[in-house]
Amino acid sequence: MNSMLSRRGFLRLGTAFGTGLVLSANSPRPLAAAAAAASGAPEIFSAGQWATIEAMTSCIIPTDHEPGALEANCVNFIDKALAREDAALLPTYRAGITAFIEESQAHFGKPFAQLRVDNRNRLLSALEQGDTLSWPQNLAATPQLFLHTVIVHTLIGFLADPGYGGNRGYAGWQVVGYPGTEHHMGGYSKEQVEGTAPVIPMWKTDRSG
Amino acid sequence: MTTKSKIYDVCVIGTGAGGGVMIDQLTAAGMDVVALERGPLLSLAEFNEDELKTVIRRQVFARDKVDTYRQDEHSPTEKGNIAEITHCVGGSITHWGAWAWRFRPDDFHVLSKEGPVAGASLADWPISYEDLEPYYYRAELDFGASGDSGGNPFGAPRKQPYPNPPHPWRPSSHRFARGARKMGYTPFALPVAINSQVYGNRPACMYGGACRSNGCPINAKASTLSVSLPRALATGRLDLRANAAVYELPLDNSGRLLGARYLDEDGNRHEVKARQVVLAAGAMGTTQLMLLSKSALFPDGLANGSGLVGHNYSYHHYPGVAAVFEDDLRAYTGYEAHAAVDDLHPSDSSRGFIRGGVIAETNALSNQPIAFATGLHQFTGHARWGAALKQRLREFPRTMAFAGICEELPMDSNRVDLDPEVTDTFGLPVPRVTKKNHPNDAVMHQWFCNKLSELAHAAGASQIYQIRTPGAFVDKNNSLKSNPHNHGTCRMGDNPSASVVDKWCRSHEVSNLWVTDASVFPTAGGYNPTLTILANSYRVADYFIEQARSLSL
Repeated sequence: MNSMLSRRGFLRLGTAFGTGLVLSANSPRPLAAAAAAASGAPEIFSAGQWATIEAMTSCIIPTDHEPGALEANCVNFIDKALAREDAALLPTYRAGITAFIEESQAHFGKPFAQLRVDNRNRLLSALEQGDTLSWPQNLAATPQLFLHTVIVHTLIGFLADPGYGGNRGYAGWQVVGYPGTEHHMGGYSKEQVEGTAPVIPMWKTDRSG
Repeated sequence: MTTKSKIYDVCVIGTGAGGGVMIDQLTAAGMDVVALERGPLLSLAEFNEDELKTVIRRQVFARDKVDTYRQDEHSPTEKGNIAEITHCVGGSITHWGAWAWRFRPDDFHVLSKEGPVAGASLADWPISYEDLEPYYYRAELDFGASGDSGGNPFGAPRKQPYPNPPHPWRPSSHRFARGARKMGYTPFALPVAINSQVYGNRPACMYGGACRSNGCPINAKASTLSVSLPRALATGRLDLRANAAVYELPLDNSGRLLGARYLDEDGNRHEVKARQVVLAAGAMGTTQLMLLSKSALFPDGLANGSGLVGHNYSYHHYPGVAAVFEDDLRAYTGYEAHAAVDDLHPSDSSRGFIRGGVIAETNALSNQPIAFATGLHQFTGHARWGAALKQRLREFPRTMAFAGICEELPMDSNRVDLDPEVTDTFGLPVPRVTKKNHPNDAVMHQWFCNKLSELAHAAGASQIYQIRTPGAFVDKNNSLKSNPHNHGTCRMGDNPSASVVDKWCRSHEVSNLWVTDASVFPTAGGYNPTLTILANSYRVADYFIEQARSLSL
């Protein structure tokens, strides 16, 4: 396993996230942000870009007997994040998606969203290994950087508060077994901490929505 | 520039553990204090468990911070919001994990105990554990420490019990304890400054989980924001100024400080006048301010005749393994770490390294899922995507970490200075870290990782991974880039040519300048530093007040 490659990718990614994200001020998110996240209407992605990223996210966290990134609407999270806090990552996405769509055509003669699951995985592996056919040589968004950016964004979209547009219906928290932001629901009792009383996930007690 | 005519008794720069205690103690003694804090005043409503905003995007605690890092003079410089410290009223103690350790007596005499070590700049503290013991207790009382008095046979001796009893243990704590007992170690409740019952007009912990890296929404976790500053404000003698970025400490002709100059949010310049100045901006921030304050008297930075300001900068390193079990460990409840073992702490050169550290049961990289998932993704090479990744994610409630807090050896070449190229939002040069680990650190790190793996195995873990997050593990090729524990840039000592401040944390060269953050630590100790910062500040405050009353300041 080429874990060094992966670590370098993350180091770069860390820098991209770390510097891009400090742009926004420490103020409450505008109501418009929450409304946009809730509506699910695209703000950044074209229909084709949306379909491509959505297919990538569903490859990263697939649907099985439980919801995956598709049901959690991770693509909506990414779209809304690129419109706001993660705007610094827009160039990576714009260039990366274009190159990725070309790459899918070069390998399989079809857009990524129309590939079978095994071919989708082959293409992601090719990106990770840098084993690409048509990816432009001098693109700042290298295949690895693009892939890792989408992976980390998918994980965040799966597990961030649903107010950011992903983790729809708490799908991500249910899958990983995180009961939610329980402090504001009253915290945990001594027995719950000790494991002798069951933990009730917040979506079973949340009456706010 | 606006200058008000009022001359304060004291100007304190920084409101974290070191500054907050000074502000509290000096206002209680009747002094007029102006406190300058670079960050904003946050309300408890901002401590809302939003992991993406608080932990991942870091938009709450140090949103505009920029610093740089390079391993040595020949390495590339990285720029970003690197050091895990905060800019806000209350400083980094606002988001601490609340581990409330006393240093062991030998932590104060590392050079005497170990002898000189090539490449390291070991030193003794000019004070002993006995000097600090009463002040540790005062800090534990004020911050409501809870713990297992007498539970740690390798810990510092105590004269009084902890003010609060231990907290309940999670199943993960019991797993840790079981493994520890099998290894012949003595597990005990890790001391924390988190209320286990109503105490000090603050409520008991609700065990919501989002503790370290988060502020406490109910003030059950003690901090200067919840303990010291409210008390100081209630005296009516504190002028607390948030969003005040100090850029210079001006001197008069006799070489005494006049006060401080700062920029407000809009970049307007202000000056405050004070008879005494306490610098407590953290090991990086304090260094930055001293190096920014150049004058004819101090061409290399304020009170820097020794040339040591910024040098001997040290962290802790965190060996760690993640361990997966078969059942729900509830490590997402409570706070960061409920149980500890200190058997590996005493220095023993037959292990191939000197010094040591404490180990603890902690949650799965985080009590919250995003840091778990993204951190996990970084240290396990497989499971990059697909069904295998999803399976990993499902292990969240069954995953815990076994982690150490280990002493780094100080090195003269490890230092903070001003970046010659990078500036912050105000145009001020940012702190630049030049830092590499001593070979002793890498040997200790791997030895502890091996022990932690054995411990996790003894505890019954089904899978064990060494945590190798970039920049957070040490080996012969990799050094620690950043750390929330920053020490050593203004060493205290008796010899003015080998230290920056004296045993009372007063500058050897500028009589009305004091430093009370972890800058003054000659060595890092093998425990989290905060209780020692608090205790040392209580000690300095007592001396300061005594000197003021005898008109000796």
